[in-house]
Amino acid sequence: MSADVPTAPRGGRARPPWPRALAWLGGRSLARDLRTLTLYGVTMWAVVTLVFLLPRLMPGDPLSALDDPDSGTFIYDDHARAKVAAYYGLDQPLIAQYADYLSDLAHGDLGWSISQSAPVSRLIASRLPWTLLLMGSAVIISSLISFALGVTAGWRRGGRLDRALIVGSSAARAVPEYAMASLLLVLFAVLVPIFPLAGAMTPFARYASPFAAAGDVLRHLALPLAALSLGLLGNKFLLVRNSVIGTLGEDYMLLARAKGLPPRMLKFHHSGRNILLPFITVLGVQLGFAAGGSLFVEAVFAYPGMGTLVNGAVVARDYPLLQGTFLVLALVVLLANLLVELAYGAVDPRVYR
Amino acid sequence: MTTPGLALAAPATRVPVVTGAGVGAAAGVALVGVAILAVLFGDQLATFRATELAGSSLEAPSREHLLGTNLLGQDVASQLILGTRSSLLVALVAGAGTVLVGGIVGILAGWFRGWFDATLMRVTDLMLVIPKLPLLLLVGALAGGSALTLAFLIALLFWPVAARVLRAQTLSLRGSTHVRAATGFGAGPGDQLRRHIVPALALLVVAEFIPAASRAVAMLAGLAFLGVGDPTEPSWGGIMRDAVAYRGLFVTPAWTWWLLPPIVAVVMLVVAITLIGVGAERRLNPRLGRHRR
Repeated sequence: MSADVPTAPRGGRARPPWPRALAWLGGRSLARDLRTLTLYGVTMWAVVTLVFLLPRLMPGDPLSALDDPDSGTFIYDDHARAKVAAYYGLDQPLIAQYADYLSDLAHGDLGWSISQSAPVSRLIASRLPWTLLLMGSAVIISSLISFALGVTAGWRRGGRLDRALIVGSSAARAVPEYAMASLLLVLFAVLVPIFPLAGAMTPFARYASPFAAAGDVLRHLALPLAALSLGLLGNKFLLVRNSVIGTLGEDYMLLARAKGLPPRMLKFHHSGRNILLPFITVLGVQLGFAAGGSLFVEAVFAYPGMGTLVNGAVVARDYPLLQGTFLVLALVVLLANLLVELAYGAVDPRVYR
Repeated sequence: MTTPGLALAAPATRVPVVTGAGVGAAAGVALVGVAILAVLFGDQLATFRATELAGSSLEAPSREHLLGTNLLGQDVASQLILGTRSSLLVALVAGAGTVLVGGIVGILAGWFRGWFDATLMRVTDLMLVIPKLPLLLLVGALAGGSALTLAFLIALLFWPVAARVLRAQTLSLRGSTHVRAATGFGAGPGDQLRRHIVPALALLVVAEFIPAASRAVAMLAGLAFLGVGDPTEPSWGGIMRDAVAYRGLFVTPAWTWWLLPPIVAVVMLVVAITLIGVGAERRLNPRLGRHRR
């Protein structure tokens, strides 16, 4: 009787949720990558739409003052007022404004900066590389250092070094980036002037060789980089340390030790490699923090990246520029996250199971 | 069903409790106490009004001006004392708001599961990844920068961390025997949440409030430093902004009494709240204590 009931073979896998064709095309990874891409696509659309809606949801944009009879800058002439509104597209329904905005965006047009009288896209294009240099190198350097320190501290947990590093990293995590930057600036550019105070290159300098130019850039980068890296270090250090401790009791560690492998191999190959996945996860989340932190650090060191641009934009209440910087930074961070997530599958084959 | 997405895995970055946490917590309470005194008796302690032209430009510290004067001749010590108000206000309001929003989202998501949970967690993922400072700068510039407005904005942007932690705890509570027994006796979701879930989460809520509050203090000062803030409201970030805007700051010794004090104040308040948090975690989390002994 029981033979009549079709049952799944024991231990057999359930039918995969993705369509056959996809599984046949590129396997599971393609299906998963497509889902990731869709998710990020929707997220990016949400960010783009948020930037469009924010100024329209809130009171007090520069144009409403021209439209409000109570304000001092109200344009009394109906015809002139209508013309101004038409010039900025404000007589259009919201949907048409949105369509305009999207089409401008697709053409790389982010609007016109009020305070600097220049296209926002050009201003950002000239500043973004410096911010990416600062952010990128800070993320890489803090990752390398926190990985090495975390593995070492976790290996000797409870030891003097471990406790010192916990206290130190918690302190570094608690100090805001702008405070860290100011302290480093005071210490190493004012009291002991070994690094330059501000900027990214010496003004009006002529370089004998590209190496001299690179050296100058590095000298100016050192302090902002240190400030930002210190801010990014704490979280990752604690993560690596705690994860290493988690792997210490595993059977494969015992086996590796029994095989007589050198401790270095155990630390970084057997233990360290297993931390790579959560580490990459944190890396993705940290990119957003790094973007914010670099704005602070740049403002302190007058570093010519997005931070100083935003600083000027805030003071001048230059909304198009502020919108553009948020949009670009958000898209950069989302893109980087997308790459990280796609790489995730490459690092860990289990993801596709 | 969940993808191993970026923000999904809650990374184990809790600070391990080191010996001396009790001493640290006591120091933290003392420092926050000083800040509360500065708020309560600010008008008596501050010898000048924040915007009052109290002396000549860039006077060095003296008996009359304990922290000297700034470029305009305003008394830095008075500004520092009066700036404590907005900092503590934001710590309270933004901290409470973060925990409130995060708690509601987290508990509902953890209890009801299903598409509701999935949607909320997607939104949470998104908000964890998006760079918050540029967004705060944009919204803060649009909405005006009074400390209270900024506190609400900070709460609206930083709730996901708390939501994630509280959701996880709700999920685990939901499966525990006493909650399942209550369901068996016919308790509805309202009853369950009120009598079993929320009381059990109370300590965790406190534990999430503390980092949220210290983050808010740092963020408020940073926003004012970048120019989002009410210029008529004295704030630590505002003093920093004025100081850094002065081109000759580091050529003169003025940075020692103009730039350093507000930075030290922010760092001390942030560290004090963090220390209270580390101490409290030891008290609140019985598992930590058992492991140590």
